[in-house]
Amino acid sequence: MTPLRLAVLLLAIAAAAIWQVTVIPESLMQMTVGPVLAPAVVVVGLAVLALLYGVSAWRGRQVDVSHAPDQTPLPGSGRRLASLLGGGAVFMALVGPLGFVLPAALCGMGVARAFDAPLGWRSALVCGAIAAVFWLVFAQLLGIGLGPALRWPF
Amino acid sequence: MQAFDALLTGFGSALQPLTLMWGFAGCLIGTLVGVLPGISPALTIALLLPLTYQVPATSMFVMFAGIYYGAAYGGSTTSILLNTPGESGSVVTALEGNKMARRGRAGQALATAAIGSFVAGTIGTLALTFFAPWVVEAALAFGPAEYFSLMVLSLVAVSAVLGSSVLRGLLSLTAGLLCGLVGIDLQTGQPRFTFGRAELLDGLEVTVVAVGLFAVGEALYLAWQGRESRSGEVMKLTGSLRLSRQDWARSWKPWIRGSLFGFPIGALPAGGAELPTMLSYYTEKKLSKHPEEFGHGAIEGVAGPEAANNAAAAGVLMPLLTLGIPTSATAAIMLSAFEGYGIQTGPQLFSQQGALVWTLIASLYIGNVILLVLNLPLVNLWVRLLKIPPPWLYAGIIVISTAGVYGAGNSVFNVGLLFFFGLIGFLMRRFDFPAAPLIVGMILAPMAEQSMRQALTISQGDWFTFFTRPLSGSLMAVAIVLLMLPPLVRRLRRPGARS
Repeated sequence: MTPLRLAVLLLAIAAAAIWQVTVIPESLMQMTVGPVLAPAVVVVGLAVLALLYGVSAWRGRQVDVSHAPDQTPLPGSGRRLASLLGGGAVFMALVGPLGFVLPAALCGMGVARAFDAPLGWRSALVCGAIAAVFWLVFAQLLGIGLGPALRWPF
Repeated sequence: MQAFDALLTGFGSALQPLTLMWGFAGCLIGTLVGVLPGISPALTIALLLPLTYQVPATSMFVMFAGIYYGAAYGGSTTSILLNTPGESGSVVTALEGNKMARRGRAGQALATAAIGSFVAGTIGTLALTFFAPWVVEAALAFGPAEYFSLMVLSLVAVSAVLGSSVLRGLLSLTAGLLCGLVGIDLQTGQPRFTFGRAELLDGLEVTVVAVGLFAVGEALYLAWQGRESRSGEVMKLTGSLRLSRQDWARSWKPWIRGSLFGFPIGALPAGGAELPTMLSYYTEKKLSKHPEEFGHGAIEGVAGPEAANNAAAAGVLMPLLTLGIPTSATAAIMLSAFEGYGIQTGPQLFSQQGALVWTLIASLYIGNVILLVLNLPLVNLWVRLLKIPPPWLYAGIIVISTAGVYGAGNSVFNVGLLFFFGLIGFLMRRFDFPAAPLIVGMILAPMAEQSMRQALTISQGDWFTFFTRPLSGSLMAVAIVLLMLPPLVRRLRRPGARS
């Protein structure tokens, strides 16, 4: 990813937002300002600013913090990102069938792996404990609906 | 005098055991949040928003205030002992505080930071107590046009003045405004930016966006870099936690000066804590009788900025409580908590929810005392927390973030959005986009649109109403100046511009 590619992404988001503005149904109520004006102004602003950002990036005036000497990523950055996001994906896929604790522990293991902790029993135990403690505090103590700690699919 | 009477009533309510307990919990959590790098008070308050369904408003806001003040206190510990500021307002503290720790005076650095925070927090809260009613009185003259202009001013100030680039600040702001407009339009019932998804009809949850940007985004960035797993060196707690006579003599004036910088700048839209702490540091350097010690561990360089940081925290509450205008990400999330309780913010807050507001202000005084008592004796506990290995720290942060978002509505869709906003936060961090304008924009967008519609209905569609009404016009003029000034100054400063 470079600032120029980011500008393209911003323009794509602006284009999607413009399309969404065009599909806002007109209100049947008689009013000075309808539901379209504010979104339209914001979206046009976003498109113009994204364009300006693109021009500025093309001229090499936009920054990528990771190019600073002490900020460059160490080798394996893609794998670490995938581990963290994978943990989130596993949680989303399993929280329905398995309850909270097991998917949250697996999510935690993915995150720990992203910070170079080896996948193993130690990681499973620590993340399992973290998930169980949070479930107890949130669901039991504070009454927030996290669903059951464990749900057996069979 | 009326304010004093109301404050006494507030103390009566804040000293109730249950309220006191929530305040204590807030201070403890806040200090923890301030100490641990990677967790901000905005993120913590956002995670606790689901509690608003279960806990009475007064208790909740007393806890939020404790978290907010506690984070400002706790940030100094990380700055001094780890040379890694836990909060942006503690960056300057790290300059001298860590040097003091390296010279065997960590205890004195922590003590001057804690006592300075107490002094500044108290001065800031006193100023809030006695100035807030004046601001409320002035704000009662505001109509929808003035409110809209005030919101424009604060949005512009947060985006254009803070951060290193006006363009990136404004892009972040427009993205936030766009997020704020997602969902059903309250006046007409028409869906906007929902992409046909029923889950988006109620709009985007503030918790999801804030936690995604601050927690997941930060974790993604640090994991991507791969440097966080190599933990920094935590300094040993050396030196006495008691200040010597000379330390007191060198600290008390910086505490007062820091407070005087912090409160008014914190109360301004976009004032924040960074500017007053920086100003305080350079003022102390200039006024010090030992300027040669600066850069090698000068106690004034810790005392002043820490005081400024805490006074700014009180300052930020001023526009939030009196005008309903958030000037930082944390204040924006507190505003959404008010909305969660169905409480209308702005000048009416003092008349309609007087008991709540004065209990909150009284709890700030009490919180300051709790924090002073908590911070110094428990410093060894905070030091131990700094030694938590990063894999377990971030696993905990992401699991608690996921639990907080999932628990708010048992929605897997929202967890997906959490990681989506995490990716956005990662890109924003990498390409140096400020996150605060996005959060403030998202929360102010529906309110600004509402005020604009009301103003235009009153003026029968006359757009000049925002410029021809004296107060509204003045606010708009200031907003325009703030927008134009930074690029203009930068252009004039460019080499060759004078020739």
